[in-house]
Amino acid sequence: MEKPRLVQTEQPLNNEIDIYKTFWYADWSFPIFVALLSAGIFSGTHMYYVYHIGAFNDVAVVAMLEAGIQGGGYGAAAAFGASFLFARILEGSLVGILDIGGALQTGLGIGVPALMLSAGFTAPITNFPLALLTGAVLGLIIGYIIIAIKKFTVGQVDSTFGADIMMGAGNASGRFLGPLIVISACSASIPVGIGSIIGAALFYVWKKPVAGGAILGAMIFGAIFPIPGGLE
Amino acid sequence: MEIIEILLKSIIIGGLVGFGVGAGAARMFHTPKVQGMGAFRTLGELNACAGDSVSHFSFGLGFFFNAWASAVGAGAFTQDVDHRIIPNWAASFLLRKGKKPEDTLHNPKKMAIMGAIVGVIVVGFLNTTSSAIPESMQAIAVKVLVPAANLLINPIMPVIFWLAALDAGKRSGMWGTVLGGAAHLVMGNAVPGIVLGILIGKGVDDSGWNKLTKTLLTAVVILFVLSGFFRGFDINMIKGFYLDVPNWLAGLHKIFGLEVK
Repeated sequence: MEKPRLVQTEQPLNNEIDIYKTFWYADWSFPIFVALLSAGIFSGTHMYYVYHIGAFNDVAVVAMLEAGIQGGGYGAAAAFGASFLFARILEGSLVGILDIGGALQTGLGIGVPALMLSAGFTAPITNFPLALLTGAVLGLIIGYIIIAIKKFTVGQVDSTFGADIMMGAGNASGRFLGPLIVISACSASIPVGIGSIIGAALFYVWKKPVAGGAILGAMIFGAIFPIPGGLE
Repeated sequence: MEIIEILLKSIIIGGLVGFGVGAGAARMFHTPKVQGMGAFRTLGELNACAGDSVSHFSFGLGFFFNAWASAVGAGAFTQDVDHRIIPNWAASFLLRKGKKPEDTLHNPKKMAIMGAIVGVIVVGFLNTTSSAIPESMQAIAVKVLVPAANLLINPIMPVIFWLAALDAGKRSGMWGTVLGGAAHLVMGNAVPGIVLGILIGKGVDDSGWNKLTKTLLTAVVILFVLSGFFRGFDINMIKGFYLDVPNWLAGLHKIFGLEVK
């Protein structure tokens, strides 16, 4: 007689608490989600390195990595990415939302590969299975660090550490890229410059990012009128 | 042959990314109890669409065209694939036929599975279409893009971040200036130093010199010392002041493979 009644009264209470302990909601599973996402993003950088497509980031940030691949040094991409990773891990655990853009797309996807490439450690980026594995392991570590900091500082801190300021500055610098591409295209050759001007103007009128129009315009004109002496 | 290789890799990457993004986005609705993953702006935008399937889809579509242009032009997806397209399209497909957001958008399991499906399609499409672009056209993009990016990295971004730090209050401005300048000397770019300066300045503004902000400052100092050492900054600095490099320091550098003249 006693037993069924006990079960009935306890069940709704248990469900309420347990939902946050199940796989899909729990803290312990968080590193797994980060690992899967990180594996994908890191392999996206592999795709960029090998096929020149598919990096999970904005043109401005990918261009930093490209500057390194072209022999200009990986310092900027590594420092930029690593500092974002550092700041976002801290912020993510404090505010309860890990910023994918700063921590994983820029930090893990650009900063870490730049560090590896600058050290001559190319295998994790050139080899697809290894890229998946590297991304997953690093993501798992990031996830565990976040959960650990969260446990360690729970209820202690209510600062976002100026994340809004950095985000604002990041967005503001992204806006510079459009005009810069047009300037750079105009110095490359006259047809490429004209193409980028037309593309930028059209995209502006269509309310699309000027940088995208400038690149596409430069590409189309550059394909018809190649830059003298430059390209193989 | 290469296109099949690219497609297979893209399917794997898209599935992984979509799964993580979907689950992370749904978990954001349960913070602070649950650790979420995404961005504050993503959360805001998902809420702004108010559980309407069509709004979610068209919001994602606008960014999809940007991402496509950027992927074709420069091989860069933009951050919007993870921040906006996958979460909004996954939400849109889950919410069709007037389902409630509480049972769909806020459910990590459903969002993860739908996110993976959307991810496979989006990444597969973007990569196969942009790989079809002739290599000569990609080379032009690189030729135009790299000088522009170099200008952006130095000096434009340092200046913008620096001014933002100066505008953010006395502490951020002071720490941003000191660490930014030091970062340019040591690492060759001021941005990481300024970012760390804002981090420290704002952290102390909001919560004072507690255990966490002190740990942060210590970590920053260690970062600078190590980075300076491995880039040989200490040696260059000593030489810059016309002093003699002590033998023990030269010996220490030799252990790590840097020969001091």
